[in-house]
Amino acid sequence: MSFKRFDAEDLVIASEAVSAPVWSTGDPILTTFFTSSTQPNLESGKFYYDVYQTGSTLDNAAVQFSIAYGDLDGSGSAPYNSSVVGKSPSSTIYGQYRTLVLGDEESSFSFGGVSQEYFYAITIDRNQFKESLLPASFNLTLKNTSNRILTLTDNSTAVTTVSYNDAGRVYQVVSGSNGVPYTGVNANGYTATSGSYGLFLPDIGTIILNGAALDINGAQGINLSTTRGTTAAANPAKLYQVINSGSSFQLNYKETVTSQFVFARIRNSEFNYSTNPSYITGSGDLRISSMLDTPQSYITSVGMYNDNNELLAVAKLSRPLLKDFTKEALIRIKLDF
Amino acid sequence: MGYLNNSVVTVDAILTKKGRELLARGDGSFRITQFALSDDEIDYTLYNTSHPSGSAYYGEAIEAMPLLEAFPDETQIMKYKLTTLPRGTARLPILATKSVVTLKQGQSEAITPQTLNYLGNNQTFETSGYTFTIADARVASAFQGVGINTEEANRLNSTTTLGTNVSKTVIGTSLNITATSVNTLFGTNTQLQTTLTIIGRDSGARVTIPVTITKVN
Repeated sequence: MSFKRFDAEDLVIASEAVSAPVWSTGDPILTTFFTSSTQPNLESGKFYYDVYQTGSTLDNAAVQFSIAYGDLDGSGSAPYNSSVVGKSPSSTIYGQYRTLVLGDEESSFSFGGVSQEYFYAITIDRNQFKESLLPASFNLTLKNTSNRILTLTDNSTAVTTVSYNDAGRVYQVVSGSNGVPYTGVNANGYTATSGSYGLFLPDIGTIILNGAALDINGAQGINLSTTRGTTAAANPAKLYQVINSGSSFQLNYKETVTSQFVFARIRNSEFNYSTNPSYITGSGDLRISSMLDTPQSYITSVGMYNDNNELLAVAKLSRPLLKDFTKEALIRIKLDF
Repeated sequence: MGYLNNSVVTVDAILTKKGRELLARGDGSFRITQFALSDDEIDYTLYNTSHPSGSAYYGEAIEAMPLLEAFPDETQIMKYKLTTLPRGTARLPILATKSVVTLKQGQSEAITPQTLNYLGNNQTFETSGYTFTIADARVASAFQGVGINTEEANRLNSTTTLGTNVSKTVIGTSLNITATSVNTLFGTNTQLQTTLTIIGRDSGARVTIPVTITKVN
């Protein structure tokens, strides 16, 4: 007999959380940022800019995140049709995130209790964030041409109750670092009058930044100078510039890896003979005479089968494991999904 | 006093091509219920019964062997299974069947293996039948096991996966195979080649034979 059935307790499902840097560089902080020079002229350039960790034409270039600009009034981008006021790529982006995040076409975005009509959305590439972003790992440095620096984080360590909306967990983006608000202006890290700096939405891998807060020309903002009008203004490029100048975007993801553990229990009397052609002669006789009294075999692989004897999964040992009538073995096999 | 040997070995497993196929099918056929062990890569001629250091070192050359990683092709791994037999067994079961299968396009053939040296019999048919696996299912327009009428055997006979060169496994006491009549598969070649693996479901004995399909038109 070559097959042995598993008992019910031999098959165990277990899940564990794994966190790691979002960026394909493997580093926790992304310090260099690149966009494609051709994208602004493409249809997609009207809606968002992709940001790469290296030159976009290089073989190892991968989109790390995208920047989009959303505006309730459709400002900041040219209308689809000049005779239809207010319908432009920026209004499309606004509606898209309103549906995704608020789930109510009548609602408007509110940052720290202050409603605003426009925002910037940083969407992390799905391949990079796997399952969700890790709160308190978010640190983004923005720096404008006047060398004014703003460091943003989420307020996950400051809140005692997590808020939820249609996009899952929601944290406020605040001035500060490592999930701890900077209390120099407000105890909660918000601006004085424009609310928080945005929303950190870990479950959809998105950070929505409050455009009005970034536009503040003073210590609380970086004077981003968002252009709101009926002509194309390339607002995503403005946010890209301050991110690029800031040279520091830190973010980790968190992923739940579900594993199946399979325990192969091998009794002393089992699996001591082999069908290996070097084990037997052409007529089936044992090739090694000493094995007549003390048969031995070497385990190198464990195959897992269904009832139809179809090989579903296989595990290899790192070195041959000797098996004879005096030895038992327990092999724990991990299957990741 | 020394440390006890922590004898639990932990290894990572990979899904085979067949495993991924059945997982994608989502019909419950991806359900691990049993396991087998193999000693693929082991060459027992390295077992040195003349080792000057004594019997504890007979397997030295085998035990030092660094093993390759697992292959996802289910027809290329778990080739030589370990088997459970009574102590004192001198002869191991082997399969007797045709050494090659050569078919012309559209031609059919029945293959009926027998097991030698099993359960005290010189020659016998195994009660549970045999598992027949063809490495490339496209080369056979019919590939059916007969003689075993269990639910699983019937289901395997009726299961088809469209597309690329996946393997197909059926169960029976004998196999009916018909070579494909599709010319496209040949391309500019005059022959198609694959392998047929037969495994005794009771004895674990195994044999792999080459299959050649010859183009007619």
